Amino acid sequence: MHDNSFLARTLHRRSFFRVAGAGAAASALVLAGCAKDDTPNPGTFTQQLVIATKDSLDNNILNYAYLLEQLEAAFYDKVVATPPADLLPGELAYLTDLRDHELIHREYLKYALGTNVYDNSFVTPLTFDFSSLTLTTRAGVWAAAQLLENIGVAAYNGAGKHLTAPFLKLLGKIASVEARHATLVQELVQPGSWATGIGTTGLDAAKTPLEVVALIQPFIPVPISTDFLPTT
Amino acid sequence: MNLFQIISEIEKVDPEIMDRLTHRRSALSALGDITRKMALAAAPIAIGSAFNKAVGQQTLANANDILNYALLLEYLEEDFYAQALAAPTLAANLTTGSAARGAIQTIKNHETAHVNLLKAALGTSANPRPASFNFGTAFSNYPTFLTFAQAFEDTGVRAYKGQATNIPRTLNPTVGGNVVNLLTVALQIHSVEARHASHIRYMRRATAAGGIQQFGWITNAEGNGAPAPVYAAGNPAATFPAEGNLSQGGLTLTSVGGNTYTAAEVSEAFDEGLDNTTVVNIARSVVTF
Repeated sequence: MHDNSFLARTLHRRSFFRVAGAGAAASALVLAGCAKDDTPNPGTFTQQLVIATKDSLDNNILNYAYLLEQLEAAFYDKVVATPPADLLPGELAYLTDLRDHELIHREYLKYALGTNVYDNSFVTPLTFDFSSLTLTTRAGVWAAAQLLENIGVAAYNGAGKHLTAPFLKLLGKIASVEARHATLVQELVQPGSWATGIGTTGLDAAKTPLEVVALIQPFIPVPISTDFLPTT
Repeated sequence: MNLFQIISEIEKVDPEIMDRLTHRRSALSALGDITRKMALAAAPIAIGSAFNKAVGQQTLANANDILNYALLLEYLEEDFYAQALAAPTLAANLTTGSAARGAIQTIKNHETAHVNLLKAALGTSANPRPASFNFGTAFSNYPTFLTFAQAFEDTGVRAYKGQATNIPRTLNPTVGGNVVNLLTVALQIHSVEARHASHIRYMRRATAAGGIQQFGWITNAEGNGAPAPVYAAGNPAATFPAEGNLSQGGLTLTSVGGNTYTAAEVSEAFDEGLDNTTVVNIARSVVTF
């Protein structure tokens, strides 16, 4: 979550931007001058990942979904390429299916966004950081998959209300597939736990973009800008 | 009476019309009795109304209509699992303390929560629970029960998805003392139905006596014993394609981003919505209520 000091730093970055004339790079990975201690220091630079602009809430949410699908696809791609030795029979087939679904989601969203895709001008795609996960054991892989799939479900449930009809329809088609994934993965993590998290209300989780950004930040090597992402 | 001439004409075109609409038969008979005594001027309205319900696309005119439609499906699902848990024919499989009984009880509890939530949101506008649901042979044995369960859950996912864009995004009613966004709540139920569907599919896969070789997601439009309409196109088909759909937004996804994917993979990656008339017809085809 973001405290006031973080917001203050964000504002600071934006004002630096205008001075530096770098605002044109609105939907790209950009450099923003900002010292860790909030003291201007031209010798220290941090990067920020910008996925949202002032122009279109639909595009902002689709880019947010695209980032989530990139993350999931990269995760499964890495696991399928180097699977843990103690996977049970049949589990590599599950992981391969999951990877392919996420790759298709990612590529479709990239297509749907066209030139509005946040990494359109990137020289190389964003590289995700999975160093906080244990991917050398079956248990570690399924626990990580459970985390990512449930983030995806909660993100789509929370973001639906920000989309106009054509894009809401699209995301709905993906959201239920993520829920199908999450259920299988939970059962593989711990038999009998497939419904953990639903609770007595009978409702799945719904998270705001800011809540989700905080959850996925550990996997992204630069801070994700929350500017222009909905706060509800 | 012209009404019966009209029905006769429809039957020539669609011989199954009365079979598909068995539940309407008594209503139509009653209508016949009434119309004999009615002024002719009033008859066309009554007839038009009957046909709108019987053969036309049913229109969900407002949010309450959508919620009552969802409530009907939740009543049905809740009763289905309650009957299953009490069925002597399933007792050997749904034994006390078993994972299977635990799962079915959990799903039943979720459906009860959905019923209560929708009733709270609708208040005095909530439609009453139908007097009974007759699921026919659904509980005759465990594999049959699970097949029905998969059909209801996969249909439920399609039903909520089909309505998502009809729910106003800015409707924030107070339900049970909390201000909620109605669309968000619908999406939260939608993904729970998908979780149910996935787990029921997993249970069918794991059935001791030769499980169904399927995953938690829908491959092509394969029902593996569930009625074909559950996975087929709705109406209009361009808006509600079959689950085997390979094209999204005009792009055929078997070749995208420099890679190729099988039809099975592409169809699995997207679930498709269904219109309410098709959903209710599917329900009426296997359940009498």
